[in-house]
Amino acid sequence: MAGKGRIIGGLASSHAPSIAVALNTGKDQTAQWKPLFDGYQPMIKWLEEKKPDVIVLIANDHANTFFFDKYPCFALGVAPVHEIADEGWGRWPFEPVPGHPEFAWQLAHSLVDDEFDIAVCQEMPLDHGFLTPLACTFPPERRWQVPVVPIVVNVLQPPIPTARRCFKLGQAIRRAVEAYPKDLRVAMFGTGGLSHQLSGERYGYNNNEWDHQFLQLIEKDPERVARMSHQELMEIGGADGVEVIMWLVMRGALSNDITCRHRNYYHPMVTGFGQMILEEPNDGLGARAMAAE
Amino acid sequence: MSNTEASFPPPGTPDAPEILEIRSKQVDYSRPLPGTYLTTGVRAARGYRFSKFCMSLMDVAKREALKADPEKAMAEAGLSDYEKQLIRDKDWNGMLRYGTSTFMVLKLSNALGVGQNRTGAAMRGQTYEEFMATRNVKEAS
Repeated sequence: MAGKGRIIGGLASSHAPSIAVALNTGKDQTAQWKPLFDGYQPMIKWLEEKKPDVIVLIANDHANTFFFDKYPCFALGVAPVHEIADEGWGRWPFEPVPGHPEFAWQLAHSLVDDEFDIAVCQEMPLDHGFLTPLACTFPPERRWQVPVVPIVVNVLQPPIPTARRCFKLGQAIRRAVEAYPKDLRVAMFGTGGLSHQLSGERYGYNNNEWDHQFLQLIEKDPERVARMSHQELMEIGGADGVEVIMWLVMRGALSNDITCRHRNYYHPMVTGFGQMILEEPNDGLGARAMAAE
Repeated sequence: MSNTEASFPPPGTPDAPEILEIRSKQVDYSRPLPGTYLTTGVRAARGYRFSKFCMSLMDVAKREALKADPEKAMAEAGLSDYEKQLIRDKDWNGMLRYGTSTFMVLKLSNALGVGQNRTGAAMRGQTYEEFMATRNVKEAS
């Protein structure tokens, strides 16, 4: 492979809007929130030390970026600057987030050449799915030092992509990065989950045991998660817990030579919150070749 | 009620038996999830107009109009009697069964001044206090 792009690791975090609200209202050191925000500290440090050139951030829209008149299974933001979505209650108090058009457009071409027909968006405002994890891993003085290429996954309006398809999207992203002709150090960032359900009589369903198991599996045996149906994921993790398929996009882009540098879990209210750092060896140059498709 | 529910023709909405047969391989219809309503197949289409109304509440003027005169706002949006009644009753689970996405219901409940966990408690058939007692952290942030 002639390319110079490489993936240096993957981060993951839940993205509930309550987290960003707690941060913005100075509640991050309260007894309720500290166990979660302590979990962001290693992620903040990792990003500061590794200084990736770009972050590929995977999240879902919550009907703020798109509406159901048109709802893509996968969408890619190629804008130079990503606007902040209005979720109906005023914009989040964040500056627009810089993109990386050159890499993003190459990624679009590479993915579609690779038979991954993603919707390409020149305007794709970001909602809390993206902003919560970014705000928690970039303290105010460092916003926004790393450009972001956002990928939206539909987890709201069936038909939603399979877990397997999300894993394969990650693998296709890795191929695209490795074929990228310029020196580019890429960090993946998967968001969402863990167990939760926000609707019906089953509102408030959580499964701490599954959440811990998922955090193990995503590191050691993502294939097992990729084999799960939506039915299985919803049974074990709640209807909205199905969104952990977005962690598979992150994981699919990593090798099996990763080291888990950080893992944290906290469940205060209606969502099991997970955080993780998976690091590639030797700054992304040490991984053995990926297994053939 | 469950995601196996084969027909649900509310008054004033056209039934469409041919698309009620739509099935996803990702859902096991022999194992309905309790207390869960998925907007698969026809449900999303049936709930579309109602969802659009919920989405319109992203606009602060629409929210204020709904608060000021709900009947007028609902009539102007062209909601059916069935849809209006769902709102009058704050029948969140009814909205979900009808085909409204979770996040549309939450936009509506928020516009009506009902917070997420209060909406959730009502969906569970509990008071807010009863629901909060089931949480690890028992007070709102």
